[in-house]
Amino acid sequence: MPYWCRRSGPSQWSHCRKRGIDGSLRANREAEGCDRENGRHTDNSYRHSDNRHSSFTTPESAGPVSRCGRQADWGSQVEDDEMRRGVHRDMQRYRRRILGAEVTQRERKTSSGSSGSCDSREGENIETDEAVLLRRQKQINYGKNTLAYDRYIKEVPKHMRQPGVHPKTPNKFRKYSRRSWDQQIKLWKVKLHAWDPPTEDGRDNLLDNIEELGLDDVMDIELDFPTLSDSQNAPAALSTHSLSLEGEDCLGTPVKIQKTETTAESDTV
Amino acid sequence: MENSTEDYRIQSFDLDTQVLLKTALKDPSAVNLEKVSNIIVDQSLKDQVFSKEAGRICYTIVQAEAKQSNGNVFRRNLLNRLQQEFKSREETRARSLQEWVCYVTFICNIFDYLKVNNMPMVALVHPVYDCLMRLAQPDALMNEEEVDCLVLQLHRIGEQLEKVNGPRMDELFFLLRDGFLLQEGLTSMARLLLLEILEFRAGGWMLSSTAHKYYYSEIAD
Repeated sequence: MPYWCRRSGPSQWSHCRKRGIDGSLRANREAEGCDRENGRHTDNSYRHSDNRHSSFTTPESAGPVSRCGRQADWGSQVEDDEMRRGVHRDMQRYRRRILGAEVTQRERKTSSGSSGSCDSREGENIETDEAVLLRRQKQINYGKNTLAYDRYIKEVPKHMRQPGVHPKTPNKFRKYSRRSWDQQIKLWKVKLHAWDPPTEDGRDNLLDNIEELGLDDVMDIELDFPTLSDSQNAPAALSTHSLSLEGEDCLGTPVKIQKTETTAESDTV
Repeated sequence: MENSTEDYRIQSFDLDTQVLLKTALKDPSAVNLEKVSNIIVDQSLKDQVFSKEAGRICYTIVQAEAKQSNGNVFRRNLLNRLQQEFKSREETRARSLQEWVCYVTFICNIFDYLKVNNMPMVALVHPVYDCLMRLAQPDALMNEEEVDCLVLQLHRIGEQLEKVNGPRMDELFFLLRDGFLLQEGLTSMARLLLLEILEFRAGGWMLSSTAHKYYYSEIAD
């Protein structure tokens, strides 16, 4: 069963989710244990007379969605609207960054005779289809709405992240096939699971994830993650290679992904 | 610089509730935000003074929750309660004019304060217009309470509303103009209020100094 598929009770991943299905935060609540026992979510969401929840948070939605599909409620409309505006704002920022980078690159290249690298064409290769961008943003939001992500960003500030070693949010503005994008998201989330809060019975989350993924799928995944960092707070440097060399807070030996016992003493972003 | 809690007009609540609200403003994750939003909505429907300024406290809680945990439980519950009340507005009006007037004041105040990326919430535009149009109907114009509410809202948010939907504002003002000119049985106060709002909009959502003198010269500054 795909790991995002909801079962009737709390799934084995419920404890990793930052929010219950009504959207309220569930961080650090010991009530999670009780949920497991009686199979009910202790939230205040409206219940039908047959005791089924009337709304769920699905991978496609930003928050609880009514079981009957169409989001006619104002809460959802406003959230969708907010997401749409956020995506457009991100796009403008991204465009500015790309065009800025292109100009710098062109200035460097003079007449070196090197064949046009795809980077210089990036500005014309942006994904602009709103439906695609919104869908991708929702998938990203779903991944960021986890305790693992919270713990990850607290533990590893951006300038200490290493490509390949640390998970990086897929770049929604790049052109990718649907399948490629979905695989990137899957891989990204699997990597994030390394920062899951420890479970009571001490299961090894990371191994479970890899088994679920099915290593055959790995064959045709794009392994070069985008060179541009998250649109959120972007440092000036664009090339990821230079990131590991920026020394100010560098502690010497790079930190490998570890099981989550490490308490982060690094500066928070 | 924090708003003193007096700005939020929460004195009308009992002390326990005041504490709850103050906590919600500072530490949203420590309270049940759904409950808080219901308390605010319920009070807004009863208390005219509070309904005029409840938007501000709502705005602060929304911001605080977003900053603290990136959540919007409070906003979602608030909006959905507003939606419920909107659906049953005709019954509310039939039952209690005061509650109806409070509701319109409240939803307009929310429209004013709760912006998304500095833009009004699109989901509220038509509902707000629907409410104002209802207040502009002949039966409503007969009640000074409703006329007073209508002109107050237009003073506060008319310009913004017109920006997001000009045609509906035109539609609304046709009703107001016709009511002013043709409707029998309006009180003179109602007519004065309507005349002033007609001039107000005609002047680009402000009164010329002469018009201001005409309407307000007897009112102490």
